Amino acid sequence: MTLTQPAPVYVREDLLTGCQAVAHGVRLADVDVVSAYPIRPYTEVMDALSKMIADGELDAEYIIADSEHSQFEIVKHASSVGARAFAGSSGTGWMYGFEALVVTATDRLPVLFLVGNRALDDPGAFGVEHNDALALRDMGWLLFWVTTPQEALEHVLIGYRIAEDPRVRMPVALAMDGAFLTHSQHLVRIPSPEAVRRFLPPYDLGDRRLHPDNPISIAPQANEDWVMELRRQNWEAARRARQVITQAYEEFRAIFGDRYTPPYYFDEFLTEDAEVVLIGLGTVASPGRTAARRLRQQGHKVGYVNLRWFRPFPTVELRECLRRFKAVGVIDRDFAHGSPDDGGALLHEIRSCLYPARERPAIVNFISGLGGRDISIADCIRMFELTERAAREEALDGFVTWIGVRE
Amino acid sequence: MIKRVEINYRGIFQKTLAKKIGGDIVMVASRMGQVGFSNGRYSDSPERNGIPCKYFAFVSPDLSEEELEAECGAKLDIDEANISVVLDDTMVKGVEPWGWHGIRPINEKVVEGGYLLVVSRKQPEELLQWIGRKPYDYHLAILPGDASFAGLWVYKDDLTHERVLGAIAALDPSLISLEAVEAYLRDKMHEPARAEAARQAHDEVRQRVRVVKAGEGRRWPYAIPELPKWNEFAEGVVVRAVPRHFEIGPRGQSRNEQFKRFTTRTQRPVVRFDLCTKCMLCWYDCPDECFDPTPDGLFDVNYEYCVGCGRCAQVCPVKECIVMVDELRFEDNSSPWEFYRRDPQGYIRWAEEKKGNERIVYPFVTGTGVATVPGEHVPEGQKTVVKKQDKLEVSL
Repeated sequence: MTLTQPAPVYVREDLLTGCQAVAHGVRLADVDVVSAYPIRPYTEVMDALSKMIADGELDAEYIIADSEHSQFEIVKHASSVGARAFAGSSGTGWMYGFEALVVTATDRLPVLFLVGNRALDDPGAFGVEHNDALALRDMGWLLFWVTTPQEALEHVLIGYRIAEDPRVRMPVALAMDGAFLTHSQHLVRIPSPEAVRRFLPPYDLGDRRLHPDNPISIAPQANEDWVMELRRQNWEAARRARQVITQAYEEFRAIFGDRYTPPYYFDEFLTEDAEVVLIGLGTVASPGRTAARRLRQQGHKVGYVNLRWFRPFPTVELRECLRRFKAVGVIDRDFAHGSPDDGGALLHEIRSCLYPARERPAIVNFISGLGGRDISIADCIRMFELTERAAREEALDGFVTWIGVRE
Repeated sequence: MIKRVEINYRGIFQKTLAKKIGGDIVMVASRMGQVGFSNGRYSDSPERNGIPCKYFAFVSPDLSEEELEAECGAKLDIDEANISVVLDDTMVKGVEPWGWHGIRPINEKVVEGGYLLVVSRKQPEELLQWIGRKPYDYHLAILPGDASFAGLWVYKDDLTHERVLGAIAALDPSLISLEAVEAYLRDKMHEPARAEAARQAHDEVRQRVRVVKAGEGRRWPYAIPELPKWNEFAEGVVVRAVPRHFEIGPRGQSRNEQFKRFTTRTQRPVVRFDLCTKCMLCWYDCPDECFDPTPDGLFDVNYEYCVGCGRCAQVCPVKECIVMVDELRFEDNSSPWEFYRRDPQGYIRWAEEKKGNERIVYPFVTGTGVATVPGEHVPEGQKTVVKKQDKLEVSL
């Protein structure tokens, strides 16, 4: 019997920004084609990747596009010929490439994109807002948020694993808060290429690969005879993605340890006997959880839910989770002007998700942190207090409060 | 407990330097068993030449990384700093970041008993004449040296990075100890000179720490802007123009009172009006339109708005007529032309005294660093036309 020590899954620790961590994920995923066009805060990832290629750490085609639209088209085409491809953008640049983003989903090409969340101009602003990524919500993309550089690196691998699965084959957007995550340097454990190879199989588009040996046409004009059936196919892929997501996280845990636990789509913090919780996307989790910890010390039964996956939306899992509480405060770092109750996009998703539940919590909504405005621990404590009031007073159910605006 | 370090740096030229210092504070502190992270003030626009910007490092011996992040991470600026590092001493005149923050004292964030660490060749008293008063005691520490100015995207490897780490270790060894700094630099860079530079700076700074008493320093002359409420400004992202106004003479052109920009300056152009040929090139080329036409055909400099880019000195065709001079040699932003009109000989003596014997050259593009060349004291009215090469740098 030979005793061989398995190779360590993490090889070193480095101080990395969120963008640099994504670049390491792309390097470890051995991506074949990168297309780039600068816009802050996404830009730092293209800087990091070009350096890795120049230093011989990554063997990939690096194509500077003339705009986001061309950038996104380039990776879409690269993906169709069997290249693992990466691109990304932020804010208005992301919106400029939107036509290409839509067809990448309808053509079911599993590209991974970074969205470094940025306010949509005007006015010109670099700071985080989630409306850029949320614009994908009905387009047939996978979409999730990460909250630390470590998660960012690992979710490049998890993202490709799910997107490229033959049952799914959908593009995936990895969203991260501009500035607070894209540009903040943290210590990150970097996995070994061997461990990554065990987790992430090579990209194989099978008989859908565009190649002279496999003559096919992709996306001819189809019109009303075909469109509805194709939409139905895409829906089915989004449904199958739910099983693949769970499986991918379980495989990830088997190799890399228990950083992510069921149901994977979201993390619960201090919720076990909680009566009131806040739920949000992205880095607001740190002040949110810290506020919950402090209020617990004063006897408040509060907790925090960090929603990671937005598409597919974890309907059943989140309904089961949130129906236990007396009141839920939904934090939106976005706006949906003119929508029901003038709430944010996440409010509508969560209210809709909870409507079929026989007993529902009161739901209040907080619009906060727009355009990169900071959300402090004190802001989160105020949100908890308002949500606790909603649990006691019927009248506050459905209230939308702007937190942190000068008024 | 949280230790906050802010690094005040000059946009673009010191951006990489500041990031390296911030990151390495975290790396050294983590080797001492602490948690930390580092980021920049995101609302800055550090691609603008010379604009005052900030980088931060946050370290805690007892908090979790998440709690530290919650306290310090999702914030645009910090409320207080245990150590404020100043990488260019001309920033002691105040710092005005990109838009709407107003001109702030360089020590604004320094806590009671905290440290303001300035890279400078000046004496503490020279610096304190510019620095705002605090209601409590703190320390001023000086790391002897010149501001490290690199090129547009270049990092100038002149050991400032290592020396600042050593200096911080001298001020607060519980944040980063000298031994940990030396061990880190030896492990990372494999060049003994780097750890030696840190130790030397540590020893130098320990001799140059001075208590600044409550009330010592300057009464801060600039108002901090109060931002309007959501219903107090125009809809549709409309910003009212500054009312148009022009008349011949000093300050005769209307300019934006809310954003004066002069804290971006490390050097200012000193004009010898007696040598001026009235060619207008300075007025024409100035990217910030700082030159005001005067009734005698000369051009006054409005130092409130001059960012010290040096373009006027570059295009001026007369020897010694416009020369860039260290900003800290000047008391205020008053009109040089008015001084010249009042007392021509006195002004020329004053200008030559300020210029001194050396001319400073910053080859910004290649980042080879500051160089000095001998200057010349030209007699009154002796106009010598020089053909200047229109290039942005000198090779040394």
